[in-house]
Amino acid sequence: MTAATVNAPAESTAAKLLRVLLTQRIALLAVLIVIVVVTFFINDAGGYLTAPYDFDYMSASLINAIPLAMLGLAELLVILSGRGGIDLSVGAIVSLAGMGFGFAYGEWGWPLWLAILATAGFGALLGAVNGFLVSYIGFPALIATLATFYAYKSLAIVINNQEPISTEPIQELFSLSKSVELPLFGQYVPDVPLGIFTFLLPTAVAVWLLLARTSYGRRLYAIGTNDVAGRWAGLPVRDTRFKAYVYAGLISGLVAVVTVGQFASARPDAGVSGNGMALPAITIAVLGGVAITGGIGRVSGVVLATLLIVWLNAGILLAFVGNEGSQYQLLALGAVLVFAALLNGLTNRKYGGSQ
Amino acid sequence: MTAVAEAKIKKRVLPSPVTGQEFVLVGVLVLLWAALAVSTPAFLTAGSIQPLLVATAPVALVGVAMTIVIITGGIDVSVGGAIMVCSVLTAKALVGSEVSLGVAVLLSVAAGGLLGLVNGVLIAYGRVHAIIITFGTANLFMFLGLQIFGSGTVNGIPGTLAFFGRGPDGRTLGVPHAFLITLLITAAAWWYLRHTAGGRHFFAIGGDPQAARLAGVRVQRRVLLAYVLTGLLVGLASCFVIAQGTSTLDQSVGSGKELAVIAAVVIGGTSIMGGRGSVLGTLLGALLVQSVASGVTQLGWRSQLSDLFVGIFIIVAVGADLLRARARRNR
Amino acid sequence: MTDTNETPRLRLTAISKRFGAVRAIQHADFTVTAGRVHALVGENGAGKSTMIKIVAGAETADTGEIEFEGEQVKLGSTTAAIALGIATVYQEPQLFPELTVAENIFLGRELKKTGRVDWTAQNAKVVELLTLLGLPERYATAEVGTLSVAEQQQVSIAKALASDAKVLILDEPSAILTDAEIEVLFDVVRRLTAAGVAVIYISHRLDELFRIADEVTVMRDGRTIGTYPIKDLSVRQIAHLMVGEELSDARPHREVPEGPAVLELRGLSRAGKFRDVDVSVKAGEIVVLYGLVGSGVSEIAACVYGIDRSTDGQLLVNASRVDIKSPEHAQRLGIALLPANRKVEGMFGFQSIAFNISAGHLGLLSKFGVWVDRAREKAVALKLIERLAVKTPHERQPISAMSGGNAQKVVLARQLVERPKVLVLAEPTQGVDVGAKEEIHRLITELAEEGTAVLVVTSDLPEALRIADRIQVVRGGTTTVEFGPDASQVDLLAAAAGGSEPAGGTTKAAAAGGSEPAGTTKAAAAGGSE
Repeated sequence: MTAATVNAPAESTAAKLLRVLLTQRIALLAVLIVIVVVTFFINDAGGYLTAPYDFDYMSASLINAIPLAMLGLAELLVILSGRGGIDLSVGAIVSLAGMGFGFAYGEWGWPLWLAILATAGFGALLGAVNGFLVSYIGFPALIATLATFYAYKSLAIVINNQEPISTEPIQELFSLSKSVELPLFGQYVPDVPLGIFTFLLPTAVAVWLLLARTSYGRRLYAIGTNDVAGRWAGLPVRDTRFKAYVYAGLISGLVAVVTVGQFASARPDAGVSGNGMALPAITIAVLGGVAITGGIGRVSGVVLATLLIVWLNAGILLAFVGNEGSQYQLLALGAVLVFAALLNGLTNRKYGGSQ
Repeated sequence: MTAVAEAKIKKRVLPSPVTGQEFVLVGVLVLLWAALAVSTPAFLTAGSIQPLLVATAPVALVGVAMTIVIITGGIDVSVGGAIMVCSVLTAKALVGSEVSLGVAVLLSVAAGGLLGLVNGVLIAYGRVHAIIITFGTANLFMFLGLQIFGSGTVNGIPGTLAFFGRGPDGRTLGVPHAFLITLLITAAAWWYLRHTAGGRHFFAIGGDPQAARLAGVRVQRRVLLAYVLTGLLVGLASCFVIAQGTSTLDQSVGSGKELAVIAAVVIGGTSIMGGRGSVLGTLLGALLVQSVASGVTQLGWRSQLSDLFVGIFIIVAVGADLLRARARRNR
Repeated sequence: MTDTNETPRLRLTAISKRFGAVRAIQHADFTVTAGRVHALVGENGAGKSTMIKIVAGAETADTGEIEFEGEQVKLGSTTAAIALGIATVYQEPQLFPELTVAENIFLGRELKKTGRVDWTAQNAKVVELLTLLGLPERYATAEVGTLSVAEQQQVSIAKALASDAKVLILDEPSAILTDAEIEVLFDVVRRLTAAGVAVIYISHRLDELFRIADEVTVMRDGRTIGTYPIKDLSVRQIAHLMVGEELSDARPHREVPEGPAVLELRGLSRAGKFRDVDVSVKAGEIVVLYGLVGSGVSEIAACVYGIDRSTDGQLLVNASRVDIKSPEHAQRLGIALLPANRKVEGMFGFQSIAFNISAGHLGLLSKFGVWVDRAREKAVALKLIERLAVKTPHERQPISAMSGGNAQKVVLARQLVERPKVLVLAEPTQGVDVGAKEEIHRLITELAEEGTAVLVVTSDLPEALRIADRIQVVRGGTTTVEFGPDASQVDLLAAAAGGSEPAGGTTKAAAAGGSEPAGTTKAAAAGGSE
C-alpha cells in the first residue's frame, strides 16, 4: 500500500499505460481487437486477401461467435466457482441435448418454444449431475466432467444409432441462423446473424445480470475467492457451486439448439467432433481474464475474447488458401492463449494480479 | 546392528508395492474377462487378445509419463496434438526417405522430446498453471501437425514399423512387441519412482512444492523432466500408432487421446491433486478401458457405448477413493 | 543463573533486533547447556519467536554475539544453523503425508547405493532414531498421512535429530497434544537430554514446565528478564515475571443491566475438543473466554456458530434450547461471529470492502431476494466504514491491499450489518496494530452498551482484562475459574497456565478461593526491579 502510493507520482505515462494494459484484461483485449482489425483492413486494401475483409464480412463471421461465446460464458460460471472448477463436458452436453431437441422438435412435433425450453432444461439436468458430483460428493471438477464427457458423448451417439436427425422441421430451422437487417438504422450497417439477438445477447445479458447484479452472483464470486470464508460468512457454499454447473449445463442446452439450427440437423457428435467445443470454450474464458483459481472473471472479458478470436479467425481464413486457413487459426488460438497465460504470470509477479 | 536385525528390517523397508486400488482393478479385469469369455467364446483367443494388447500400448505408454506429470501436481492436455506431430513427421519420413526402423523411432522420440521440452520450460519457469499452458500448446502442436500433413492424408506408408504392429512381425512368442515394450517401460518407471531419490522427489513436489524446495529438491528441474519424459514417450507411442494403422495416416490421428490417457491414469488410482499415484495402476486402467471397448464390439453393441463405461469407471474409481479418504479423515 | 564450569552449548549475549520501527528484541541474553531442558516463556509479543528465529538462523540479529560450544559463530541462514547442529521443530509439521516416515526424514539428502535409494541403510538409521525416541520401529515404513498429529510431531523431532542435532528447539510442542501424548513427548525429551542434546522448550503451559524443564528464561517486552532454576519458582511467580508490574488500566466499571441470559452454554462438549463448558452471557454484557492456544477455547466458538456440532450438553438462546446446525442457522438466531483466522476464514481477498461487508447479508441487502440493492449496500458500507474508522479512500478498495487492522475492521463490520443479539469474537485483535486494537475494544464496549450480548474468545491476556465484565478461564478443554473485571493478570495467567495454588477467582465448584496473591517473592522482586 505504502509502496504503491509513494511510487504513483513518479510513474511515467508509458509505465502507467503498460500497467493498465497488463492489469486490465478488457483494455488489453480491446487493443488487440483494434490491432487485428486494422491489420486485416490494411492487408485488404493492399489486395493480399482472397476476399474483402470489411464490416459485412466481420458481421457475417459473428455466426461463429454464438456457440463460442455462450460456452465461454458457461465456463466463466464454473471456473468462477473456484476449487479447480472447470467443465470438460459442455461439448458432450451440446451433443446429447441437441439429440434431445432433435427428437422433441423433429420427431415428436413439439412446438418450438416448448422444445427449446425442454432442451435447456435437459442441459441443466446434465449440468446438475456435474454439480452434484463436484459440490456435494467432492469430486475434482476435472475428473467429474471428464467422466460425464465420456458418458454424455457415448449416450448422444448411441441414442439414435449414430444417426443424425434431420427431418423437415429441423431443416427449416436453418432460417434461425440467417442474417437480418437491424430495425431503424439497419440499412446503414451490415446485416447481423439472427442468433446474436435470439441467443447470444440474451445469454450474455442474463449472465451479466446474474453475476454483477444478483445476490447469487455475489455469492459465487465470494465462494470462488475463498470458500472457507464463505462458510464462516454463512453462505450456502455447496448450493452456490452446484448451481454454477447447472447454469453451465443450461447454457450448453441452448447452444445445442443453436448448433442444430446451424447444421440444419441434430448431429450426435455436434459438440465433440474434432477438437470438441469444451477446449475452445475454456480457452476463450482464460483469454478473457478468468482466473483458473476462481473468483476473478467478467462477462465483458469473455465476450471481447470471443470477438478477438472470431475476427482473427475470419481474417486468417482470407489470408490463406484452402485448409491452410483453418490450420493457422489453431496457431493463432494457441499463441494468443500461451501469450495471455505468460502475461498473467508476469502481471502477478509485477503488479500482484489483474482484474 | 546385527545381521538378524538387518534382515528383519530389509523385509519391510517400503510400503506394499501394490495398492488396494490395483488389486481391485485386477479383480475387475478378471471378472470382465471371465464375463466376456462366457458370453463370446471368441474373446479368449489369441486373435482377440493380441489386438487388445496392441491397442492398449500407446495409451498405457503415454499414461506412464502422464502419471508422473499428475503426481507432480500438473497435467498435460497437449499429448493428443503431440502424437499427431510425431506420427505425421515419422510417417512422412517413412514414405519420403524410407528411413529404417531405428531412425524412424529415433526421429519420433526426438520430436516428442522437443515438444515436451517446450511444455516443460513454459510450465516450470513461466509459473503458469499446466492446464492453461498445455491447452495453448495443444493448439500449437495441432497446427504444426496439420502443416506437416499438408493436404489430406499420408498414403503408402511402408511396413517398416511392423515390428510394433498387429501382424505376425509384431509378435514374439505370441506377445505383441508394442505391449511388451510398454510393459518393460512401465516396470522401469515403477522401479524408478519407487527406488530412486529422483523418483521419490516427484511425489514430494506433488505433495507440497514449497516444502520440497526447502528440503533441497530441485523442483523446477524435476517438473521440466516430467514433461520432457512425456514428450519422449509420446514419440515412441506415435510409432505404435502408425504401426497399428493401415498404410494411410489421416488427420484425426491423436485426436481425443489426451482425455483417454488422463482417464486411464485416473482409473488407475492416481490422484489428480498430485502427490500420489502409480504407473502400474495406469497400465491396468488402460487395459480395462481397452477391454471394455473390445468387449462392447465383440458383444455386437455399438462401439461408442464403451465411452459410457469409461465415464462410469472414472466415477466409481475416484468416488471409491474419495470415500476412503473421507473415512480416513473421520477415523 | 546456572554457572557451571563447562562451556555452554550455545550462548547468546546482548542480542537486539528491530523490524522497521519496532524493537522486537532488546539486549537479550540466553544460554543453553548440553543435556538440559531450557524453557523460554513470555506473553504473546514478548519476543520469544524472534529469539527462536535468530537461533534457528531464520533471522539475523542486528547486534550481539552468538557462541556455539565456545566459538563465536554467525547464523546467517537456516542451513548454517542446521550444519552446526541446531534443529527446529515448528508447530506446523512440514511433512509429506504420502511418503513414509523414513522418506520424510531423508528427503533431499537420501542415502544412495548405486543410483538407488539405500532403503536398508536409511531404515536402519531411522530405526536407530526411533529407538532413541522410544518410538515403535513400525513407524519407519508407515506413511506419514496414516499417523496421528502427535505421531507426526514425533516424526518431526526425529527428522530434526537425523542431522545429529546438538541443540533442539521445540516450538509449542504441547499445544496440539492430549495429556497422554504429552507424556510421550516428555519421555522423548528426557531421552534426548540423557543423550546430551540441549533442548530449548517453548510453551504457554507453565505447569508442564515443572515436569520437564531444568531452567526457565522469562521474556517480556523484547527483553530477557532473567534465567532461573525452575525448582526455585512457582507457576504464579513465573506468571508474575511474564506480566511484570501491572499497569492499572483505568477502565470505568460498567453497569451491566440485570436480565436473563441471552446465550447460555450448559455442559457443552465436543468429543476430543472440549467438555463441560458452562458460560452465560446477558444482554449488554461482555464475557471473555480466556485460554491459551490449544486449550480448546477457539473450538468452543466454532461450535456456538454451527461450524462444528456439539456432541453433548446444551446451548440455549433466549432460554430456549437450540441445536445449531450451520452458520446460516446461527445467523438466523441472531448470532454473529468474527472468525479467528482473518486471512483464511474472514477475508474475500481481492474483493472490495463493500463486497466483504455485504457478503453474508445478501438477503437483507437485496430487492425481492434476488437483486443486490447496490445503493443500500454502498450506504451500509460507508456507514460502517465511518463507524469503525476504517482508513480507506473509498469502499471499492480491495481488502487484500489493506493493513491487518483495517482488514480486521472490515471483517468485523460484516458482523454488524444486521445488529446481532449475540456477537462472538474470536481473537478480535490478533495481528492488529495498537491503534486499531484500541478502536476495536472501544467498539466492543459500545456494542455492549447498545444491548448486544458479547462473547470474546481470546488468548490475549491484557485484552481479556481490558474489556471483560466477567472472565471465564478455559484450561484443558473446559471452563475452570471465573474472575471479575478486577482480577490481576497474574491470577488469570496462573489459572490458565495451570497454577495449582488457589487464585483470586471463583472455581466452578463455587469454592471461593480468596487466598492472597503471591507477589513479593525473591524472583518476582528480581523481575520487578527491571
